[in-house]
Amino acid sequence: MTVVVLDNGGGLIKAGIGGEREPLTVIPNCLARPVSSKKFLTGDQLLSPTEDLTSATVRRPFDRGYLINPDLQSTIWAHLFSTLRLTPSHSSLLLTEPLFNLPSIQRHTDELVFEEFNFKALYVADAPGLVHLYEASRRPYGLVSKSQCSLVVDCGFSFVHAAPVFQNFCVNYGVKRMDLGGKALSNYLKELISYRSINVMDESFLMDHVKEKLCFVSLDVQRDLMIARKRGNDNIFKCTYVLPDGVTYTKGFVKDPAEADRYRTLSDGATGLHTEKMETDQQEHEEKLENKNKIDLTKNEFSLTNERFLVPEMIFRPADLGMNQAGLAECIVRAVNSCHPHLQPVLYESIILTGGSTLFPRFAERLERELRPLVPDNYRVKISTQEDPILGVWRGGSLLASSPDFETMCVTKAEYEELGSFRCRKRFFH
Amino acid sequence: MDEDMSNSARRMSTRTRRVAPKMVAALASNDNRTQAVLARLEALENDNPGLETVEVNDDSDASLDDDDEQVKRQSKGTKRKTRQAKALENAKKAPRTFHELLHEANLESLPRHVPTYLRAAVGPPSSVARRHFCTVCGFSSNYTCVRCGTRFCSTRCQNIHNDTRCLKFVA
Repeated sequence: MTVVVLDNGGGLIKAGIGGEREPLTVIPNCLARPVSSKKFLTGDQLLSPTEDLTSATVRRPFDRGYLINPDLQSTIWAHLFSTLRLTPSHSSLLLTEPLFNLPSIQRHTDELVFEEFNFKALYVADAPGLVHLYEASRRPYGLVSKSQCSLVVDCGFSFVHAAPVFQNFCVNYGVKRMDLGGKALSNYLKELISYRSINVMDESFLMDHVKEKLCFVSLDVQRDLMIARKRGNDNIFKCTYVLPDGVTYTKGFVKDPAEADRYRTLSDGATGLHTEKMETDQQEHEEKLENKNKIDLTKNEFSLTNERFLVPEMIFRPADLGMNQAGLAECIVRAVNSCHPHLQPVLYESIILTGGSTLFPRFAERLERELRPLVPDNYRVKISTQEDPILGVWRGGSLLASSPDFETMCVTKAEYEELGSFRCRKRFFH
Repeated sequence: MDEDMSNSARRMSTRTRRVAPKMVAALASNDNRTQAVLARLEALENDNPGLETVEVNDDSDASLDDDDEQVKRQSKGTKRKTRQAKALENAKKAPRTFHELLHEANLESLPRHVPTYLRAAVGPPSSVARRHFCTVCGFSSNYTCVRCGTRFCSTRCQNIHNDTRCLKFVA
């Protein structure tokens, strides 16, 4: 019997067959309707390069990380299963749910799985447990698998969770959550660009792309702000993004990737930088002038400077935005402190970063700089990133689904019909 | 507070008496400012603001209701629904926001030791110090707009702010 593994995130659905290394597909968990058409597009249609998603209307089944619209989710799943040629009535399902899911949402999910799609069996997993499982299996002699505990920091689409995991189970009283995720970051960027250069308030997909391509985490905000203030060529953060015009290209792109990557030279210190600068100064200066003229003429591109690092900065200091919440480093410290003192040194030494928002360049480095002063001196801090943070949870699920006891852990359709949703849920311990 | 103010105002100079109500208003507007900040944060979770809610609902309402009515007429021939009944039905159909679901789940009633969504929140930061960034250009800002409380860094940015955004978020 096949096991369908579904990491049903607020932003992306990762779907595939249990036991395989790669998921069959990764699609946005939303419906979108381009201005030109009346039909909502879903799944792989959204990813096709020919589709023009400019100013598309977006509907998502998730709000603040939780499933609020089961009907919409059912449409998306139905399309997903039919394109992947999966038959729900002959397979069981491993589904991820957000931590602290509300009972009413759990009931709706169960109805969806058993009554609408007729899956044979269901296992509900939480993301931190699966990430831990995957990391432990990758390094059988590493600290994570030996101590059987880790601290999983999941920076997702809707929120950030710092979750201690012990013996493959998420320690739920230790979990700490920040209500800030990739979606808020994209929207913040959208707001900044719309105010400062060009109105992009409706371009969700485009802004996601800008964020992924151009944003990075600053290691020293004050210094970087000084640099971003400079004019002309000294300003190594300045870069230009070209908007789609709908004729020659339907997707936006970074105008000069080399220019956008210049910030990477910064990390080693500013001395080597200047000499390098002087040589290429003149050429680039001429190019710059051309670019500036182009910006004035065509009006379909915008340039970014300090927005590039001020946007991911929100994860580290949400208070700057007026949000009454602690930053990521403090979030981790509080999560660890709520665990047993014997666990604490081990947890600090096995921090695993996962989730799409950790893909910002230098995310881990900055986190370590923020975290180190908050952790007692005699503890080591070790932060490891996953090789593919977006798929980490799914791979853990795939691993779990291929384990021999998986069948016995599931709730079958017969049991669900006999006992109902609430009693069945007791089995999953969360 | 208000009573105290009015009592003491009798012994104040005329100028103070004139200014006092304005001060009260300013204090009240502080609340407006926090509300504006909250509204801004709320907006960060929006998908496609404005356009979506209006258009989609209109579309789905129209199509769904037409279908329903056609089916009903064909099958039973029941009488047309009133507007009120339609509105009620739409309210039932419409997906509720997460906050409504959260409110319904009544997590406050659970005993203190049960970890829930509410207790998992990180809570306020340990230091109250916050950095301020200019809302116009993004650099660190030293000045606050006296009317609406947003930050700016220079006269140039102040002018831009006054022309475009000032008091747009408040009220």
